[in-house]
Amino acid sequence: MIAYIARRLGLSILMIALVSVLVFVVLRLLPGDPTITRVGAAQAIDAKTLAAMRHSLGLDDPILVQYGRWIAGLFHGDLGQSYFSEYPVGELIGQRIGATVLLAVAGLVLGVLLTVPLAVLPAISRRKIWGRLVGGYSTVGMAAPPFVFGIILIAVFSVGLGWTPTGGYQSLWSDPGASLRLLALPAVTLAITLSAPLVHYLRVSMREVESAAYVRTATGKGLGRPGVVGGHVLPNALLPTLTAFGVMIGSVLGGVVVVEYVFRWPGLGSLIVDAVLQRDYAVLQSAVLLVAAAFVLANLLIDILAGLLDPRLRVGGARTRARGTTAAALATGGAR
Amino acid sequence: MTVLQMSEEAATARSRTGVWRKVVRRPATAVALAVLVVLVLLAILGPVVFTAPDLIDVPARYAPASWAHPLGTDELGRDLLSRIAAGGRVSLLIGVASTALAMIIGTVWGAVAAARGGWLDEVLMRIGDAFMAIPMILFALIFVAAFGGDTFTLALVIGLLMAPLTARIARAVVLGETSGEYVRGLRAVGASETRILFREILPNTAPALMAQASLNMATALMVEASLSFLGLGVQPPTASWGTLLQQGYTKLFESISYPLVPALVVVIAIAAFNTVGNGLQRILIGDDRD
Repeated sequence: MIAYIARRLGLSILMIALVSVLVFVVLRLLPGDPTITRVGAAQAIDAKTLAAMRHSLGLDDPILVQYGRWIAGLFHGDLGQSYFSEYPVGELIGQRIGATVLLAVAGLVLGVLLTVPLAVLPAISRRKIWGRLVGGYSTVGMAAPPFVFGIILIAVFSVGLGWTPTGGYQSLWSDPGASLRLLALPAVTLAITLSAPLVHYLRVSMREVESAAYVRTATGKGLGRPGVVGGHVLPNALLPTLTAFGVMIGSVLGGVVVVEYVFRWPGLGSLIVDAVLQRDYAVLQSAVLLVAAAFVLANLLIDILAGLLDPRLRVGGARTRARGTTAAALATGGAR
Repeated sequence: MTVLQMSEEAATARSRTGVWRKVVRRPATAVALAVLVVLVLLAILGPVVFTAPDLIDVPARYAPASWAHPLGTDELGRDLLSRIAAGGRVSLLIGVASTALAMIIGTVWGAVAAARGGWLDEVLMRIGDAFMAIPMILFALIFVAAFGGDTFTLALVIGLLMAPLTARIARAVVLGETSGEYVRGLRAVGASETRILFREILPNTAPALMAQASLNMATALMVEASLSFLGLGVQPPTASWGTLLQQGYTKLFESISYPLVPALVVVIAIAAFNTVGNGLQRILIGDDRD
């Protein structure tokens, strides 16, 4: 188990390092000069001022030096300063990260809470209508871009019923009541985008488990449907779904960007969109790396958990099989 | 050798018609295919048949559904059905172009990784993993902000971003084929590795790759809609399903059907591509349930 964890950990660190190179290279390859955006392209500026500005931002150093400076800074907790506002990047991210973590965690928890009953109900009930309804839910949920549900929820609950504001954010500590009311719609939007594909995978893997001999045995010894499903089918079907869940976290993190925009939620997503428009590489590279690192680390935790639950996964070869499920999950879920 | 080749091609041809027949027999998949045909026809013929998508008729703005405007009109009195059709041209074009690009890059990427194996396989797949660790919409956002959101750029960017996943699928499928009896047969008669890969293995992976292409179409439509919704994709007045959604969203208080119509069309189109893709996958693994 220790060897397994060490290997997964090593791979994760390698992955984050690769992502940092990728983000850095992609951003430097892009056309557009951050100094021009900052000064404003309309003004006539002489080349000397621009060069001085590039020098002070360190943009005229060789790309390897720039990369080295960024990475060295990361280890010292110094992310540099924004090209645009000159605020320290760490501070900018710090201001926004709380809101995003609140939204993402609420969305993940709600999503999981929605998933299990939705997958179990049609398996227990003898009436076919539940299967159809839940199937329809996951088909529509997987096909709808996250903001579509946001729009519908706003139309119904804010415009129609007037229960919640159309958007905005309150810190959970300063005013919990108002904060939760503002959190409700965006969190539900994320939960739907997460649970729709998850319900699909859970049901597929439950259907596979149904044909196992031990399920027939459980039915044969007189156990009722709830007992068979809850005691045998569901626990065995959860493991493959766990891997799919890890991949879905990526789409939740991507979905957060769009959902934040719909609900005017001042999180990392809006910081990233602003940084994109201002070509603020300094903010962008660290914010994107942070999102990617969150995704990689969440998957590391899930891999470790899966390894704890299923010893077979700890042997190298079995990982390939798990990755197959992951790929299938990505195929329909990785869109956002 | 000729004999071996002949029989192999015959077998492939047979299995492909088999796939087609099975697709048509699955109710959900068949319906989804029919829906896609209707949407494509609408996109191709719509702008020709209906009133011009950019025809402004301000007095008739926010008109409810009628015979003249089957889906109503927008804030400038433009016919929504014909704008959906025109938007479909742009959105579906982006989808087809980016899917084609992703399939070409991804198949070569995955096939080379699978065929060469060893360190090259490891390196190629790790690069793909790193790409996939960044949410696609974030990545697309960065590219589109730098290169602009015209149709060509969007197709290019989305195609590139879908390539790593396609490569992973292609690699798995090619690996599955390499263990086939006929590959050993071809090796035994001295066919070159390149020939085996491109002339024999890849044609056999076509159904599996078609399934992935269909899923890629769904992804492309989703990313286009999201980017255009954020105002970073296709720019108005050009209609795409994403821009229609975005414009409808800003007019939510004036007309509830305006954002709802493009939303429904996008959801139906993506669901149809997903259903066809999943249907094909199920058929290939021999699961006949829908």
